[in-house]
Amino acid sequence: MDRRKFLKAGVASALTAGMVGAMKALPAEAAEAVANASGPQNGAKSKLHPKVDYGGATVKFVEHNDQWLGTTKIVGTVKNTHEADQGFYLANRGKYSPEAQKGFYHYHFVMKHPFNNAIASFALSLSPEQMVSGKPSPEKLKIPDPEQMSQHIKDCAYFLRADEVGIGKMPSYAYYSHKAPSQDDLMKDDLSNSIPVTERLPYVIVVMIDQHLETMLASTGYDGISAAQSMRSYHTTGVISVILASYIRNLGYNARAHHFTNYAAVMSPCIMAAGLGELSRTGDCTVHPRLGFRHKVAAVTTDLPLVPDKPIDFGLLDFCSVCGKCADNCPSGAITHDRDPVEYNGYLRWNSDFKKCTEFRVTNKDGSSCGRCMKVCPWNSKEQSWFHTAGTWIGSKGQNSSRLLKTIDDMFGYGDEQIEKYKWWLEWPERYGLPTNH
Amino acid sequence: MGNFLVFIAGILFLAGILFIKPRAKQDLKWKTVLNWTLYVVWYAITGMGISFIYINSSVGHVKATSTAIFLFLGLSLVLAIILARLLGFLGKTQKNIDTSAKA
Repeated sequence: MDRRKFLKAGVASALTAGMVGAMKALPAEAAEAVANASGPQNGAKSKLHPKVDYGGATVKFVEHNDQWLGTTKIVGTVKNTHEADQGFYLANRGKYSPEAQKGFYHYHFVMKHPFNNAIASFALSLSPEQMVSGKPSPEKLKIPDPEQMSQHIKDCAYFLRADEVGIGKMPSYAYYSHKAPSQDDLMKDDLSNSIPVTERLPYVIVVMIDQHLETMLASTGYDGISAAQSMRSYHTTGVISVILASYIRNLGYNARAHHFTNYAAVMSPCIMAAGLGELSRTGDCTVHPRLGFRHKVAAVTTDLPLVPDKPIDFGLLDFCSVCGKCADNCPSGAITHDRDPVEYNGYLRWNSDFKKCTEFRVTNKDGSSCGRCMKVCPWNSKEQSWFHTAGTWIGSKGQNSSRLLKTIDDMFGYGDEQIEKYKWWLEWPERYGLPTNH
Repeated sequence: MGNFLVFIAGILFLAGILFIKPRAKQDLKWKTVLNWTLYVVWYAITGMGISFIYINSSVGHVKATSTAIFLFLGLSLVLAIILARLLGFLGKTQKNIDTSAKA
């Protein structure tokens, strides 16, 4: 066979194989195949949100086992923590300054702004135990296909207006050992009425809501609207999680919602397990490839049969190790400038000074709380556009390219600007001081 | 709107090709390749610059807009001058005209 005949035979074989393949595939399957080719797919695919949007970042799916939770290295035994040992409750207990104790009492640091008060008060209405948990229906729905159920649960969350949804294997160490007692007990540093958390359910559904780009662009990050940005996402994710948990209980399975006003678990490990982010330089906040820091989440733990998503790796550890823009811009100097993560409670993370962070947020006289780290982070400091997509693609490619992204970000002045045309909220600085009673 | 702008950008790119085609071909092949390469690079930088400036100014990123005007349009201008010189729109053309006038 000469060269020409050989090439002709090759082309004919390829065409025949292609036509046979096309005839075998039904039109719907062909469309599905094309849709699948459009991007990476983590876990069950939603019908309402079939294209997983990771922005420009190159995302790899990684492991969740006894040594790794995504890109977080587990180096020992991760102990379940007491809810009363987290920053705000330490302020409440008087472990920080008296000013911090005053600033946190009854969430004064949020409630001092009337708009923030309005949203947070609504979120507090979701806190009673009967809102977040309860007995499942005695009539149990049979679930022969957990993947189909995972798809359905993701679609429920998107229908309820979640921006992102993920399902993870619930890390047992993400549960609190105890829930904190009442604020009045905390004021006396009396933990005797703490409630042990005994629940251990196998799956966690995490719902994520954007904190609003334009508002963040106009804000300093620690003015009057700062707490409202958190509350915007907290109350919305709270509503979604409460409804989802209730729906799952109606299907006959156990489910508990965890949201801003009633947690029984720490959210960061849940986010990582559900493939919605990596742990960042701040030490306790995660970054999503598309939304960056600009999100809050709520979760539902459940024993509904599901197919979990995998944790993700989009190069954030490399990026955070060379960027440090959050640390440079933190008004309280709480975020560490350390190059590498260090061991904390059996895993590796950057260890920020949570005392400084909490003190600043609850006593901030320039506004209500603080989210400056969120505002300046190059992963979320600008709108979706071809150059942001290109930038996050560069940022997900290792330390040298991350350094380049940080340099470009600084050169163009992103992150630390305030765009006045989006400033829509009221400031009431006379109310930003500490309460006079207590 | 976006599709229309992409269409216009494509039309302008083709128009540019037709415009420089009579002058792009040189005696030496590497000079011809250089002309076309410079045209493509110049067009890409100018197009990216206009898009970058438009998006940043409409969102309100003041520093990004001013830096991009300086950076992208500056680069575009420098490349345009080099390309115009190589294609004979600047300097060389004048000389040719003078020569033909004498002849």
